[in-house]
Amino acid sequence: MQSGISSAATQLVSEEVGVEVSHVTKGFGPEGAKLVVLNDVSFSIKRGEFVSVIGPSGCGKSTLLRLVAGLTEADHGTVTVHGEAIRTATRHKSVGLVPQSPALLPWRTVHDNVSLPIRVNSKANVDRRLRDPRQILSSFGLGHAVDKYPFQLSGGMQQRVAIARAFVFDPMVLLMDEPFSALDEMNRDQQRMGLLEFWQSNRKSVMFVTHSVPEAIILSDRIVVMAAHPGRIAEIIDVDLPRPRDENVYATDAFRDLEGYVRNSLKSVMAPGQAA
Amino acid sequence: MSNSELQSRASAGVIAPGSASMNWVRSAKSHLAAWGPPIVTFAIVAVIWQLLALGNPYVLPTLDAVGSNIVSNPGMYWQNFLVTAQEIAIGAGAGILAGFVLAVLMAELPILERAMMPLMVTIMVTPVVAIAPALVVAFGFGMAPKYIVTGLVVFFPMLVNSLAGLKSVDARAHDVLKTLHASRWEIFRELRFPGSMPFFFAGLRIAFPLSVVGAAVAEFAAAGQQAGLGSLLTIAAAQANLPVTWACIALLCLTGVLLVAVLAVIRRYVLWWSEDGA
Repeated sequence: MQSGISSAATQLVSEEVGVEVSHVTKGFGPEGAKLVVLNDVSFSIKRGEFVSVIGPSGCGKSTLLRLVAGLTEADHGTVTVHGEAIRTATRHKSVGLVPQSPALLPWRTVHDNVSLPIRVNSKANVDRRLRDPRQILSSFGLGHAVDKYPFQLSGGMQQRVAIARAFVFDPMVLLMDEPFSALDEMNRDQQRMGLLEFWQSNRKSVMFVTHSVPEAIILSDRIVVMAAHPGRIAEIIDVDLPRPRDENVYATDAFRDLEGYVRNSLKSVMAPGQAA
Repeated sequence: MSNSELQSRASAGVIAPGSASMNWVRSAKSHLAAWGPPIVTFAIVAVIWQLLALGNPYVLPTLDAVGSNIVSNPGMYWQNFLVTAQEIAIGAGAGILAGFVLAVLMAELPILERAMMPLMVTIMVTPVVAIAPALVVAFGFGMAPKYIVTGLVVFFPMLVNSLAGLKSVDARAHDVLKTLHASRWEIFRELRFPGSMPFFFAGLRIAFPLSVVGAAVAEFAAAGQQAGLGSLLTIAAAQANLPVTWACIALLCLTGVLLVAVLAVIRRYVLWWSEDGA
């Protein structure tokens, strides 16, 4: 499982590094009584690769995502995107963020919410393949909602708008923080498939934080399993399912084998007292 | 479809019956449901007032005496109302603007908040009734002390509410903007300013009625010189002229009600997107 990378899965993944997290340590609190949230974390995401991060609560996966988004700084270690330090990368608008809640602006139309990344920091729009918000919305099945306001949309549609907002300015890296966790299961699966389909024809480096094992498997090329106290990487699992994938993958033996493997890996990282 | 199902669908607005008269009946009914109870309350208070006034002619004027006094001197009341309205417009307008601008500066420069908030609280807890006479001594009996007092009473609620609004932005939307390396100004324009509007309007909801208090108190302190409903009230009360006294009180009250009503209309146009926008 560790080495079985199928050729289909890597066709569109370049060997060049997209995101490089190198020996990152991060703690909170005063010196001396510091709570270590991330301890010497290193991993990389190749260009065009989809990597999920999964682990128990308190393993620091959200902190890791905030570090890669440039929203917080590491105590030690470095984060680079396409070779640039994360500060420089965000200045060049290289990173798109899909937060846990859609976080749309309620006073803006769907169109104007999606075009927000184009409106701000417009210096970084030079030499960039900006997408037409209308076109990206219609490919997300939201063509009819372009001129609506967020409160007129369902939760699933709002989350799709948030994803469209992250794709619209063509960033090199997409960061998603449990984007479907607020949706009900039926809706979640539908949104997952929508993202999978869109991403398969618009390959970007993705770091996807999730709580769901099936979600991590169906979407990812690799799964980073994290352990808690202190947050660290326990194992990195290759997902050697062929692409393009669709919901039929759930029913395959390969999927079930992987699911069992990932669940075991997660079980082994839960401290005895924490296992649910 | 059963009858009860029909009714529940109709009340949910699913069915729009063609007949206009049915719609009219329903809207009249819903208006009655909304306006009926407060109208009854006002009617009961008016009856009690009238009974008390008839029994105590030297304490309370009857409502008809107050009403006919206003109707017989419309010019006098109008002139005095205009003076008070001007104090409110200029004084409260400046106070609201100053409160909001300082809130923006404090939100952008936290050191400014730490440095100035204690002073602001000190000013806030000083009774405006105590400041007004001192301002009259300093600025004379003209309009200046009235503007200042009116501005002062609205300043603090505007400062505190606007500051809370500017700080209460959606943290995740803020993260999205930060990841895009949006500038301070862009974050203000796209997120902080529009996002603070519900709090700004909550501040106005407090400030508008207070501005009437401020203008009236300022006129009390400097009565007899400049006109205004508050000045007129003081003079009338000194002469034990009950109908004029209460007419001034009623008009000041009406001014406050009008301001709140206008605010509610503006709010609906500006804050239609807010969940508690009604």
